[in-house]
Amino acid sequence: MHEALLTLGFGLVAAAILSLSALAFTLEYSVTNVANLSHGEILTVGAYCAYLVQQHGGGVILSGLAAAAGGGVLALAVHNGVVDRFVRKGIGGLPTFIATLGVSLVIQNVLVIIFGASNLGYAVPQGAPRTVGPFLWTDTEIQIMVSAVVITALLYVIIQHTRFGKSLRAVSQNRSLARVSGINANRVAALTWLLAGLIGGYAGFILAESVGTFSPYSGFSFFLITLTAAVAGGLGKAVGTLVGGIIVGIALEFFGGYLSASYNLAFAFAILSLVILVRPRGLFVGGRRSVFE
Amino acid sequence: MIDYLVSVLTEGSIFAIMALGLNIIWGWSGDFDLAFYGYVALGAYMTLVLTIGPATSPTTYILGLTLPFPLAVAIAVVCSMLLALVVGAIALRHLRGIYFSIVTLGAVYVLYVFAGQFVPLFNGYNGLSGLFDPMGDVLGLDFSAYPFFYLGLCVAVLCVVLVLVTRLSGSRFGLALRSLREDERAAAAFGRNIYAMKLKAYVIGAGIGGLGGALFAGYLSAFNPSAWSPVETIVLYAAILVGGRGSNRGVILGVAVMVMGLQEATRYLPEIANQPSFAPAFRLILTGIVLVLFIRFRPQGLLPEHRMRDKDPADTGGTSVATGSAVAGATLDTGAA
Repeated sequence: MHEALLTLGFGLVAAAILSLSALAFTLEYSVTNVANLSHGEILTVGAYCAYLVQQHGGGVILSGLAAAAGGGVLALAVHNGVVDRFVRKGIGGLPTFIATLGVSLVIQNVLVIIFGASNLGYAVPQGAPRTVGPFLWTDTEIQIMVSAVVITALLYVIIQHTRFGKSLRAVSQNRSLARVSGINANRVAALTWLLAGLIGGYAGFILAESVGTFSPYSGFSFFLITLTAAVAGGLGKAVGTLVGGIIVGIALEFFGGYLSASYNLAFAFAILSLVILVRPRGLFVGGRRSVFE
Repeated sequence: MIDYLVSVLTEGSIFAIMALGLNIIWGWSGDFDLAFYGYVALGAYMTLVLTIGPATSPTTYILGLTLPFPLAVAIAVVCSMLLALVVGAIALRHLRGIYFSIVTLGAVYVLYVFAGQFVPLFNGYNGLSGLFDPMGDVLGLDFSAYPFFYLGLCVAVLCVVLVLVTRLSGSRFGLALRSLREDERAAAAFGRNIYAMKLKAYVIGAGIGGLGGALFAGYLSAFNPSAWSPVETIVLYAAILVGGRGSNRGVILGVAVMVMGLQEATRYLPEIANQPSFAPAFRLILTGIVLVLFIRFRPQGLLPEHRMRDKDPADTGGTSVATGSAVAGATLDTGAA
């Protein structure tokens, strides 16, 4: 029982990171209807920005802000430079999806050229693990979870209680209808991607902190798990995605703890395939409609 | 110099075989399959374990037979097709568009993780090696003559594959596949069994991919997880897109430009100290940029697919065709709604 609670504790850390990443991904999807395959690179770039700041003597808070800024700039660039042009040109979801895979390839290899392909790590110490109730967490892990909760709460307020959030919801439900109602849909979409990039970049930083190392490819492999959480929760649905992220994060930690961590990715995809095949619109979305439309 | 030319051409024909296989799945059937390189890899792995003999400690892998190369290739192709049958049967049943791509991406990552982590299968991350000059000793070829023979073999296989896919392309099956790529509902309304046809195309494509992988294994003489990654498929997609999606000639051209041409163009890049991966990374950056630009500005590619036209002389004006199809379209739309 004690061991199970410990695993649950680690699972909560993983869930915090995963939820942020999945929320960012689902925000991107909700306003443009494009599954952004270069989402993982937003995380990676965030991790590298934080690394640069630490190289120049910045602390944890400054690193986190730099990571968010880096992710935000990249997401905005991908949106304005590629995705928005494709969407406005009327190029469908699938070709744009393929194009974002090309973007992902470009960013990964630019990072390889700048930083090299090998693993890097932060110099900031994790802190000794301490007992919190039945759990065992380091200071860094506690910071990760607290910040994730704060960011999620902020995001909720932004989406539910601001003018921008209202237009975001409108655009995500029906972009054309939002436009004829006087909403500048392109601007809302760009701002949403910026917001998603801020969250994604920060998620990349806390991911690298929690894993200990990162490389130009680590964002993409984490993206595969992000995809599992987002699809399980329902693509484009913020609350569902949050729950999906928590469930998948904890499930993976239990799988890794009791069976084998090497096969985590395979296990995540087993969940993903099952969800897509049985409930393609997500676990928490009522009514069974086919994706085939 | 001549050795270099031979190796570039050999590699080019192997990639052309793979791309022709993928073209059946994406070009004709219209499914953006991200698992494709998994079938290539399985073809390569199977060829190796069927030819290099039993494992000696500390390496471990399954089978370890010493079959003749052609037989091993044939079995490897069958294995790729069987795997594609399983993945396709699951993924093609209900899923289209990005959902299909996501599931196939998952499938190839599962294969990649198992090939890398599960050591008893294909010796884990160290991979397999030891297939030197397949069929060289039987034919009595020496070290210097062998590359020419293997180039000839690959080109010959490429020609056979090209004849095969060209025939398939003009056959009723090939035409029907394109019809369901354009409009699945309409094709279903004309009595096509969409699932069966897509699955058949998927398995044939994967078989050709496995064949390419088997030849690749013979060329490299070794295969391991650092020699391939699931993202490798994107290079094949770039080649197909640049050449002309759906067109066999276009695919060959695309491989010549994107695989051989890009390799050549970046060969003379200066070596940067501490950066051994500069040239490959630069190549992938170019591949990504070309991919994005082609999707945006020339999605039909350099040599576009030949479109069928109605040859009835009465239809030259176009109006009668339009009326006819408008009626059919209207009926279909009401049926769908």
